[in-house]
Amino acid sequence: MSPLLIGYLGVILVPLFVASWRLSLVGLMGQGLLLAWISYRLDPAVDTVDVWVSLVDFVVVRGLGAPIALYAVLRAQRASARNDVMPPNLMSWTLAIVLVLVAFRFADLIVKAPGDDQTFVAVATAALLLGFLVLATQTGPFSQMMGALRIENAIALFELGGPHDQEGLGLRIGQTSLVVTTILLFRWYLHTLPRQAAAKASAVEGPTS
Amino acid sequence: MIVMWLLLVGVPALAALAVLLPRVGRHAPVILTTTAVITSAVALIQAALPTTEPFFNGYLRGDATAQLFTPAVNIIYLGIAIYLRARVAAEGLSRRFMVFALAFLAASNLALIGNHLLLIWIAIEATALSAALLIVRPDSPASRIASWRYLLFSSVGLGLVLLGMSCLTRSMYVDGQSPTLFLDQMGDVVKGPANAWRQIGVGLVLLGLATKLGLAPMYSWLPEAYDEAPAGVTALLGAVQFNCVVVFMFHIVHVYRAGSGDLITGELLAIGLASVAVSTASIVATRNFKRLLAYASINHAGVIAIGLALGHGASYGLLLYVLSNAFIKAILFLTAGKIESHYGTKDTKAIAGLIRDLPYSGMFLMVGTFALLGFPPFGSFLGELLILSALVTSGQMFVFAAFCMLITVSFVATGRTIFPMIWGEPKQERTWPRQSALAALHKLIFLGVLLVLGIYIPPQLNSLIERVASSVGGAGLKTP
Repeated sequence: MSPLLIGYLGVILVPLFVASWRLSLVGLMGQGLLLAWISYRLDPAVDTVDVWVSLVDFVVVRGLGAPIALYAVLRAQRASARNDVMPPNLMSWTLAIVLVLVAFRFADLIVKAPGDDQTFVAVATAALLLGFLVLATQTGPFSQMMGALRIENAIALFELGGPHDQEGLGLRIGQTSLVVTTILLFRWYLHTLPRQAAAKASAVEGPTS
Repeated sequence: MIVMWLLLVGVPALAALAVLLPRVGRHAPVILTTTAVITSAVALIQAALPTTEPFFNGYLRGDATAQLFTPAVNIIYLGIAIYLRARVAAEGLSRRFMVFALAFLAASNLALIGNHLLLIWIAIEATALSAALLIVRPDSPASRIASWRYLLFSSVGLGLVLLGMSCLTRSMYVDGQSPTLFLDQMGDVVKGPANAWRQIGVGLVLLGLATKLGLAPMYSWLPEAYDEAPAGVTALLGAVQFNCVVVFMFHIVHVYRAGSGDLITGELLAIGLASVAVSTASIVATRNFKRLLAYASINHAGVIAIGLALGHGASYGLLLYVLSNAFIKAILFLTAGKIESHYGTKDTKAIAGLIRDLPYSGMFLMVGTFALLGFPPFGSFLGELLILSALVTSGQMFVFAAFCMLITVSFVATGRTIFPMIWGEPKQERTWPRQSALAALHKLIFLGVLLVLGIYIPPQLNSLIERVASSVGGAGLKTP
C-alpha cells in the first residue's frame, strides 16, 4: 500500500512545481485513478454494488470525468499553456514542502503505530493542506477549482483509510451524484466566469446600484 | 405519520420533476406556490402529532426538532414562493429557476428530518448546489462571481464537515465501538473521555458548519452572495438553508457536548464573538442596505454560536432567537427586494421617506429593523435577553462585556443607516402604484409569528421548544 500512497503524494506535489494547466489536469486524473487502485487493493472482492459505485466514482467521475470536462473548456477557450497553481517562488515551494513535513509529523503524533494507517493519514493530510495552500494563493477560477478538487480527493483518501460506518447504497450513490453535479457546475463556471474572478466592485462594499 | 413526513420531501421533488415537462412547466409559479402550501400544511399537522421513531431503515425520524423547524421553514418558504410568483414577470424567473427552487425545498426538508449524519450532509450539499444556480441573475456578471464564491466556500465548508465526520467514525473505532452515524445510536456509542480523533472531528465539523453559516473567519462569501442574489433567493439562503445548517449543528452539539464540552464551548464562543465583532465593523462602514442586512445576518449567526456554546440556561433563549431570526430575515430581505426594484439602487443615502412612498415596505422595514435590533415585544428580544443572562450566570464576563459593547455599536449603526430611509423627505418625486394588503399578507403573517414568540407562546409550542432546548443542552423556561 505504501508505494501507492507515496505515488499519490508525488501526483499531488509535482503539478505544484510545473506551471501548466494540462499537467494540473493530468495530476487530477492521477489522483482519481490512484484512489481507485487503493480502493481496489483494500477490497479486492468487487462483488457488491456499493464497491462498484465507489470504483465508478473514482475512475469515471474523479479520474476521467473531471479532468476531461475542464480540459474541454480550456481548450475551447484556447487558454494559455501556463497556469501557476501556486505562486512560482521559492517561498511557496518551501511552504509546500513544509506542509508535507507537517502532515507526516501530525500522522506520527496521532497514529502511534507505524504502518499503512499512519501513511494514509500522512498523505491525506498533506493532500488536504496542499489543497488549502492552492486555494489560499489563487484568485483565478480554474486554480480555485483545482484546489477544491484536491481537497475533495484528499478527503476521499482519508475516508478510504479509515473504518466505515455501514452506509447504505443510497448514500453512496447520493455522494457520487453530488460529485458529478459539482463537476458539471465547475465546468459551467469555468465556461462563464472571467479568467480572474476578482469582482470589479470592492469585495467589502459592492455596488450600490 | 410516516407517510406525511415523506410528503415533505416527495412532493417538492416530484414537483421539480414535473416542472421540467414543457406542458406542466408553463404553470411553474403556481406549482411552486401550491407545493409550498402542501408542505406547510403537512408540517403544521405533524407538529401537533406525537413524535415518530426512526423509519425508512432508520435514516429518517420525526423528532421534536423536526416538528419545530419544518413548519417554520416551510411557512417561510411559502412566503418566499408568493413573493417569487409576484416577481416572476419582473425578474424573468425561468422554469429552470423554479426546478432548482423546488429541489432546494425537498433537500431542506430532508436535512431537517434526517437521522443519519451523512444523509443530512448530502441534503445540505444538495441545497448548496441548487442555491448556487439560483444566485445567478442573467443580466449580472457580478452575480455569477458571487455564485462561484458561494459554491467554493460551501464545497470547502462541507468538505471539512465530511472530513470531521470521518474523524468521528475513526474515534469510535479507536474506542473499540462499531462506527455509526445514526443520530439515535451515536449517544450510546460516544461515551467516556474524548480521544484525539473525536476532538479533531468535532472541531472540524463545527468549523465546516460555521463556514456554511457565514461565521468568522470564513464569512466573506456571505455579503457578496446575499447582495447579488435576487431577493427571494437571499431569503431562501438566510431564512431556510441557514436553519437547516443550524439544526445540523444542534445534532452535533447534542451528541458530543457531554464528552467534548470544553472544545465546543471554546470554539463556538471564539467564532461567535469574532463574527459579532467583524459584522459590527462592517455594519458601521456600509452604505448598501442589502449588505447591511447580510452583515446583520452574520451578527445573528454569531449570537447563535454564543448561545449554543453556553448550553444550559441559554438553550431556550437560543431557540427563540433562531426562530425569530428566521422570520425577521425573511421579512427584511423580501422587503429589501421590493425597495431595490422600485428605487433601482441599494444606496442608503439615495432612499428616504419610504413610509410615505411605499407604506407597506416602509412599515415592514421599520418593524423588521426593530425586531432585528432586539426590541420588545418580538421574540428576538426575549431570546437575546436569555442568552445574555446565561453569559452572566456561566461566568463568561469578558464575552458578556464585549458582546454588550458590540451590539450597542451595531444597534446605533443600523438605526443611523436604516431610519433615515424610512422617515424623512423623499429625495425625488415619484408616483407609485398602491401597495395592496393582500400582496403583503405573507409578511404580515411572519410579523404575527414574531409577536407570538415575543408576547405569548401557546403551551403546545412552548412544550415543543422546551423539548428541543433540553436536547440541545439546557433547561426549559416554564411559562407562568
